[in-house]
Amino acid sequence: MIEVKSLHKRFGSVVAVEDVSFRAEDGVITGLLGPNGAGKTTTLRVLSTLINPDRGSASIDGLDVATRPLEVRRALGMLPDARGLYPRLTAREHIHYFGELHGMDLPTLTTRAQELLEMLEMGQLADRRVDGFSNGERTKVALCRALVHSPQNIVLDEPTNGLDVMSTRAVRELLRMLRAQGRCVVFSSHVMQEVAALCDRIVIVARGRVVAEGTADELKERAGKESLEEAFVTIIGSGEGLLQ
Amino acid sequence: MSAQRDERRSLGFFVRGARVVLRKEVRDHLRDRRSLMSAMSMPLLGPLLVVLMFTVMSKMFHDDRPLMIPIRGAEHAPNLVAFLERTGAQWKPATGDLEAQVRMGKLDFALDISEEYPKQFNAGRAAELVLVVDDSRTKTAVQIRRLQSLLRGYSGQIGALRLMARGVSPELASALKLEEINVSTPEKTAAALLSMVPMFLLMCVFTGGMYLAIDSMAGERERGSLEPLLINPVTCAQVILGKWGAVVMASCVSLSTVLAGFMLALPHVPLQDLGARAQLGLHEALGVALVLVPLAFFASALQMLMALFARTYKEAQTYLSLLMMIPSITAAMLSISPPEGKLWMILVPVLGQTLLLNDVLRGEPLRLAWIAAAAGMALLATALAAAATTRMLGQEKIVFGRGAGS
Repeated sequence: MIEVKSLHKRFGSVVAVEDVSFRAEDGVITGLLGPNGAGKTTTLRVLSTLINPDRGSASIDGLDVATRPLEVRRALGMLPDARGLYPRLTAREHIHYFGELHGMDLPTLTTRAQELLEMLEMGQLADRRVDGFSNGERTKVALCRALVHSPQNIVLDEPTNGLDVMSTRAVRELLRMLRAQGRCVVFSSHVMQEVAALCDRIVIVARGRVVAEGTADELKERAGKESLEEAFVTIIGSGEGLLQ
Repeated sequence: MSAQRDERRSLGFFVRGARVVLRKEVRDHLRDRRSLMSAMSMPLLGPLLVVLMFTVMSKMFHDDRPLMIPIRGAEHAPNLVAFLERTGAQWKPATGDLEAQVRMGKLDFALDISEEYPKQFNAGRAAELVLVVDDSRTKTAVQIRRLQSLLRGYSGQIGALRLMARGVSPELASALKLEEINVSTPEKTAAALLSMVPMFLLMCVFTGGMYLAIDSMAGERERGSLEPLLINPVTCAQVILGKWGAVVMASCVSLSTVLAGFMLALPHVPLQDLGARAQLGLHEALGVALVLVPLAFFASALQMLMALFARTYKEAQTYLSLLMMIPSITAAMLSISPPEGKLWMILVPVLGQTLLLNDVLRGEPLRLAWIAAAAGMALLATALAAAATTRMLGQEKIVFGRGAGS
């Protein structure tokens, strides 16, 4: 379970997050929907313990991100905005590296890596160096290494960004499977379709604030519109920065 | 709260995480041609270059070829020419503008005997000879010196004969009798000539881990793999310790390679011909290691700090190449004018190691107290640099770059 309370963060004179609060339950996919620059990535970076908020707090499974970073990182699997890989390592070695950093023992790690590679249909590529992988393949490697320690909470920053149709489908399937396992899944997106197709709950973020929250139907009802897109435009006041 | 503190303090946890990072960096960079080139090219080139230079230098000092003297007007001084021939020198006739020929390099030097020579000689006056040389050409300096000493010898011999013919002891004409005693021991001469050896040793300490430091710090940032790495349950200190270990290993591999290279190469260098003897046996190698391994610790930590500070891979390359100049310049300066070692010099990282290194290679007994003092300072500097790097690594603007917005 992930809980964010009145988060505020500024970089110099730029306020990235003004006031963001939301709650993501286990067994639910929560989507952070908002135009580019709304503060989604900064919010997720606070969750990953790498950015300290100026005000407000965030916790994962009741662990405060500011004071117990190592435990938070254990409870969390994150696909960050940056998906940098090591060009000279193979896909499998990437997964093993992160597994070892989580203190996993070799037999468990070997089994888990194979399981993840097969789940994302990466078996053929597992022992090739990632140099020369396509965007989709790189994202899959990054996903595998983020999930290697079977975290209860999963946070993904724009997971389908730049992916082709097949890879997008694979990622969606993975997220549904994680939900079925009772895990807490949060992902951010500026793609309406994506959010509508996957999310149980939607948190709409604009200009550093949460402007609306609820299921797709609740949001449509609240805005009095037929489609989620129109509801979204009504709620945030413009369709700028949003992809169909 | 307390559980977390305990975990962070546990040495086992700390070392485990650092070891994972270290293993990954080593595996990654063993596959990197650039890291390997940077670690191995200098140690392999250095000994080869030194052997080559010494062989050339030895040829210059001990030119075994007979002295060949271009002479114009040899017919005017048959006795002088006969004297030169008796000493084993050879000559060939020269004609035309001697100065021009020497200037253009057609002749190394030339001896001009004027028509006046026989007249002056027979009259018992100083007979004129002109030796045309180009002082800027060091290659011919040895031959010219040999010729000059032959001519002085002939002049002295004839002068002595003339004095004796007049019933005067030739010793009266020599107010001074100069003898030279060279006090520099063979080891000292060797160290002066072998100043390239410490320079290469020092440079290898820096080049060995250079690319590894750049790639694992600036490269990690530029690739965008730093953020995913730090999301793992490891502290910045563990990450830095692991990476530092890998850089130090590369530096030490490079150092031992160049050391082994010199130990193999020096016996094949014609040092004796130069009146020099180089000592680089096991004892000296141990001394070198004692002096330079602490420096490798410091160099690695400093390189990592600078590489993390740089915004890009290219910028890091520029910084670290500039950093390389410190040991090379220090070594070059000290080989030109070695100062008397003072304690404060020993305590300055790089300078201290260079001084101690020269001592070791000169074959002087190891001054363990000084070596320990230099090592202590290097370790202190290492700790400071590593602490600064660790602090920086956790900063938002390092992990996410300056525009850490959205």
